[in-house]
Amino acid sequence: MSNPQFADRTFGRRTVLRGAFGALAGAAMAGPVLSACGNDDKAGGSGKSGELVFWNFYGPADDKNPQSQWFVDLVAKWNANNDVKIKLHYLPVKEYLGGTQLQTAFQSGQGPDIFIISPGDFLRYYNGGVLTDLTPHLSDDAKNDYIPGVLDTRKVDDKIYGLPMEVEPLALFYSIPTFEKAKLSEADVPKTWDQLLDVAQKLTTKDRAGMLFETIPGYYQNFTWYPFMWMGGGEAVKDGKAAFDSPAVVQALKFWQDSINMKVALRKPLGDGAGNINTNMVSGAVAMQQTGIWSVSDMSRLHKNYKYGVAPLPLPPGGSASTDMGGWAFVANAKGKDPETAAKFIAWALASTDAEGVERHRRWNTVVKTNLPPRKSVQQAADAHGTFKTGALQTFASQIVPAGRAEPRLPPEVYKPISDAIQACQLAGADPAKAAADAAQKIDGFLKTYQGAAIL
Amino acid sequence: MTVTTTAPSGQVAARPTAPPPRRGLSRRSREAVAAYAFLAPDLLGLLVFVALPMALAFGVAFYKVDGFGNYQYVGLNNYRLMMHDTELWDSLLVTAKYVVAFVPIAFVVSLGLALLVRHHFRGVGWVRAAFFLPNVISLVVVGLLWQFLLVEKRGAVAALLRPFGLQDTSFLGSPTFALGTYVLISVWFLMGYQMLVFLAGLKDIPAELEDAAEVDGASTWQRFRYVTWPLLRPTSFFVLVNSTIGAVTGLQAFDLVYVLTRGGPARSTSTVVFYIYEQAFTFNNMGYAAAMTTLVVGLLVIGTALMFALSRGGRFDED
Repeated sequence: MSNPQFADRTFGRRTVLRGAFGALAGAAMAGPVLSACGNDDKAGGSGKSGELVFWNFYGPADDKNPQSQWFVDLVAKWNANNDVKIKLHYLPVKEYLGGTQLQTAFQSGQGPDIFIISPGDFLRYYNGGVLTDLTPHLSDDAKNDYIPGVLDTRKVDDKIYGLPMEVEPLALFYSIPTFEKAKLSEADVPKTWDQLLDVAQKLTTKDRAGMLFETIPGYYQNFTWYPFMWMGGGEAVKDGKAAFDSPAVVQALKFWQDSINMKVALRKPLGDGAGNINTNMVSGAVAMQQTGIWSVSDMSRLHKNYKYGVAPLPLPPGGSASTDMGGWAFVANAKGKDPETAAKFIAWALASTDAEGVERHRRWNTVVKTNLPPRKSVQQAADAHGTFKTGALQTFASQIVPAGRAEPRLPPEVYKPISDAIQACQLAGADPAKAAADAAQKIDGFLKTYQGAAIL
Repeated sequence: MTVTTTAPSGQVAARPTAPPPRRGLSRRSREAVAAYAFLAPDLLGLLVFVALPMALAFGVAFYKVDGFGNYQYVGLNNYRLMMHDTELWDSLLVTAKYVVAFVPIAFVVSLGLALLVRHHFRGVGWVRAAFFLPNVISLVVVGLLWQFLLVEKRGAVAALLRPFGLQDTSFLGSPTFALGTYVLISVWFLMGYQMLVFLAGLKDIPAELEDAAEVDGASTWQRFRYVTWPLLRPTSFFVLVNSTIGAVTGLQAFDLVYVLTRGGPARSTSTVVFYIYEQAFTFNNMGYAAAMTTLVVGLLVIGTALMFALSRGGRFDED
């Protein structure tokens, strides 16, 4: 059935021309209208007047998961009692970490008023002059409530520029059913690097790898590799100079290389990486994997009945225990609309020492997520709930955390040569000694002209 | 001049039989205006979304841009930096290897497919649609799909290779295979689109020419070699240039790499576009990234000009 309006109508050149010019005019008119679409919060730091925008990768998420809900509740509570409102702006984690939106927003002067960063990214933003000093908004009680060392990588000249939400140590996770199938017991859980390679070999079959270290290049891979460097006393940078060309670094590079050369570790993790226990160990693709404390909540949420164990990371000969303790922090944009209020919000959200503030932080660290709380009062509240008394969390609290070290804050120009060295040795069979020396040379070259905050 | 005629019904009416003399634009001018009017939306788009950003990028290349809105004029310093940046040259080499492998393979495969589905047979529409289907999927989904298929030990491809003892092969985790795998996935993604372009070119070849050759006793190969192939020159040129530019700067040069390997393992798939992205968004060196972009554009212009000169722009010999 045709529309009678167009019946028997012919199109001459003039009709078409008239239409074309009309379309052009229409497009010119529609341009601003279209560009206004989907721009309700201007996607940057400039929300409505009197409204601060908080970029994060937790909420509000479509699936309204508990972590998203915690963020939504947090902001709702603030908004109910304050004139300057906060608006959450959610970005999927991949976009937040590896996408262009955050960087583009800052470059165009539209950076968010509040956002979250890891220690690995601290120097980039601090040196860029966009972090607000939060210290004036923190009481002495609040500052003293933080576990010693937790704030170090967020401080410059004793001023605090970021408040951590959590502490996320790394450990070795292993599948108990897989161990049992291979006739291995808890006593076989590896304590040394050699043992790990040996056990991984026993657990490797035609459709399963014994071990999984991260193999995808990026900040996360570096983060997971640092503990192996520290175990032998290695450092990337020491006293303002490159310290990467050291025996401890070489042996750590070689250890990861051996796991691939012996074909006991996967060359590519399943899913989004080796930090995902669900797609790797639980799927049966690997028997053991290095991941973080967040995997405990993943397991209790998704695989309550799956039997698994957690152990400290194995040691090299003569090495000392170590793990990397990551964790994200709230920061306020110094070039945002109202940095003072943004800083106040962060102090209220994460450092309130009243009962409500402690409970809010406890819920984040032990109910909706599993982390080590960065504050003593929150740790005590968690202990009162018996959170760290049993199971995997007990292992973390009693055996792993004592050897923990804060995730280093390195500028991208230092992170990158390290990343290249890890990749070249782990996956391309490069000589670890040469890779370490090459990386050290690049780091040194950069440090000669580096003028930013101290590298820790 | 007017002519009065008598209508069959007996009514008399005066009708103009010739147009009155016109003033204004000539027919040629009016056609030119019409042509420009049709081209205007596209030109406007090119100007706003291509030419303007290119000009801006060229300007930004003379500044040190820290990613936080600060600009510092550094003259040609970003270009000087390139001379000593081994990673840039490594990534250009990766891109060159990718282009050298991808462009001919995609060309041959898509031409082969076009010849296969050129003539009508039962279900030809379905077959063409099946070949084109990968092209309508988002590249991110394509990357995830292939990542899933290529899982070592447990993926579908590993299962196929198990009888040969090759199930442990890591196609995306080994520097030996990663670039080749990326080439093959790109071919799979783009072959349908290029096949359609070739099909359009084949449809333009007059059937009489091939019929005449057949009558003259030419074999299938001879008909292709001496009739079809020469007449496909303009289409072939378009496909070559288009796929070369796409291989260097197109979506598959970044999206696929980002999803499949993040430039790894050991930088074996770090294309120049991916490296530029890293410099801009990981290191916040936006000025340097802009300078590298102008280098890539320059190389593409030279490459395209060379191809144009060598193939005479795909024109027929007698043109």
